[in-house]
Amino acid sequence: MKRYENIGTIGILLIPLLFALRGGYLQEVTGYVYLFLIQGYVAWFLFFKSGQPFFGYSVTMAIGAYGTIVLNEIFGWPLLATMLISSAVAPVVGVILFVSTIRAKGFYVSMTSFLLAIMFPQLINALQDFTGGRSGLYFSGITEFIGYKTFYVIVILMTAVVASFFFWIMGTKTGKILTLISENDKLTQAVGINTFRYKLLAYGIAGFISGFGGALYVNYTGFISSIDIEVFTTLYIFFIPLIGGSSVFFGPVLGALFVILIPELLVPVERYFRIFFGLIFILVIVLLPAGLAPNVQRLFKSFQKKKM
Amino acid sequence: MLLNGLITGLIMGGILSLPVLGVAVIYGITGIPNFAIGVIGVFGGFITWYFISYSMGLAIAIGIVSCFIIGYVIQRVLLTPISERGGDSTLFFIITVSVGFVFEGMLRAIFPRPNISLELPRIGTISFAGFSVEGFKIIALLFAIITLIIIRLMEEHTEIGKSWQATSQNLKLAKLVGIKTTQVFSIASGIGCALACIGAIFWGSLYNLQLSSGWDLGFMGFIVAVVGGIGNIWGGLISALIMGMVMSFSGYLLGGEWQSVILYLIVIIVLIIAPKGILGSERSL
Repeated sequence: MKRYENIGTIGILLIPLLFALRGGYLQEVTGYVYLFLIQGYVAWFLFFKSGQPFFGYSVTMAIGAYGTIVLNEIFGWPLLATMLISSAVAPVVGVILFVSTIRAKGFYVSMTSFLLAIMFPQLINALQDFTGGRSGLYFSGITEFIGYKTFYVIVILMTAVVASFFFWIMGTKTGKILTLISENDKLTQAVGINTFRYKLLAYGIAGFISGFGGALYVNYTGFISSIDIEVFTTLYIFFIPLIGGSSVFFGPVLGALFVILIPELLVPVERYFRIFFGLIFILVIVLLPAGLAPNVQRLFKSFQKKKM
Repeated sequence: MLLNGLITGLIMGGILSLPVLGVAVIYGITGIPNFAIGVIGVFGGFITWYFISYSMGLAIAIGIVSCFIIGYVIQRVLLTPISERGGDSTLFFIITVSVGFVFEGMLRAIFPRPNISLELPRIGTISFAGFSVEGFKIIALLFAIITLIIIRLMEEHTEIGKSWQATSQNLKLAKLVGIKTTQVFSIASGIGCALACIGAIFWGSLYNLQLSSGWDLGFMGFIVAVVGGIGNIWGGLISALIMGMVMSFSGYLLGGEWQSVILYLIVIIVLIIAPKGILGSERSL
């Protein structure tokens, strides 16, 4: 049943390919939602499924994005190579943090990575001669060669690939050990599993995919500045699986729709945007602690029963 | 330059120590990391600014009391019930950041100006060793240190202080001996937010307050508290003074844009080397 549910999620993820036929606003927003969904799945995998208290998603994403622009525009390296190289560099941050905070526990590790998320935009501002700081950097990127619509299709497909990858890996022995680590780290060590190696692997995978997501992001938006990677970006990314529901594979999909679309829906009341945004989050967390997905599932099941 | 950097750093650290003290009081007693404290403090700063043309003393009192009430109500209605349901630090982090969003939104919706400066009376300058400093800044620093001593004395010698200690050391036992722990938590939260408000008022008077200042003040307060040993009041003060000087010297030597980068880098390194802070935490996160 769960397997069909997961395959169904991948199928649903591909539906927005149809928006490419029509283009316009819907296509633009969907692409944006999907780019954040990639990051949301990274948080789902690393924080919720592997139990690693990491909050530096905006940093790994930014390394992928800035790395792509700087290597391509300043050093003139080929675009695809720059995307892959900067994605490969992104996990270094997470891995270094993980290794250096190995003696610390839980919330201290979260705090260290969270501080990194606060510091990174300031570093980008301080290095504004290279990074453009708050004014940002413009980037024609891949869309110059293949067009915006084709790149939109690539973004949708890549998101489905990322989701499928995480779906696959959680079903493998590695995924099961990571789940075990997140549930009881000491017990996992006690049964003779080298948890350090698996955690390192989780940071490596998450960092690479987050960096790659960042590289896709900057190609899609054609612009990045320190404002795009402020600490709130990491919070929004973390909210995606949290609000959507981390226990279910399609949770991040609902979470991404919620986190990215709610601000769009609140545009008419822009002045009160943050009040509603904060209140909605508090209400969802307090009233639906397991997130949206399990409740949607329950609704769907009760609807099916009634039909029968 | 050295003396200049030292004094500026001490003053910045002294003002910063007020929200740090707020974080330390709330976390030390309730065990809840409240990230909204800075935004609530700045909200109080804006309230003070709104009423300051009527009467300065009254305006400051309204701002501080408003923050106390906000802190009290949030703890009573939202945080304590979640804590009783077994909420962990991550959940509180998310909830309090969301509370911060609400108050930042209220600032944007209620107050017409995004940037304010509080006009508090200046009391001349004090000169020594060829260096002069505004008397008001010295008062801000002294106020921070005196507040800290009062809180510490309160904790040691008053009934409410003892109930704080009992609650933070053993919640179940404190409940058994009849301490109203819910009320203790709410008062601690109220005091923490009121301290953040005083910090914001000083900050707004010496520099300025923006809509987003609350996050800076709150995050900064929190990380300085973590470096000192979260929940440890003296550790918080020492850490605030050191961090103030780090900001001041890095600003002089490398320029304003590197100030925060150096500060955060040092904090990250301290957290890596000594995860429980300089003086160690009285509670473990």
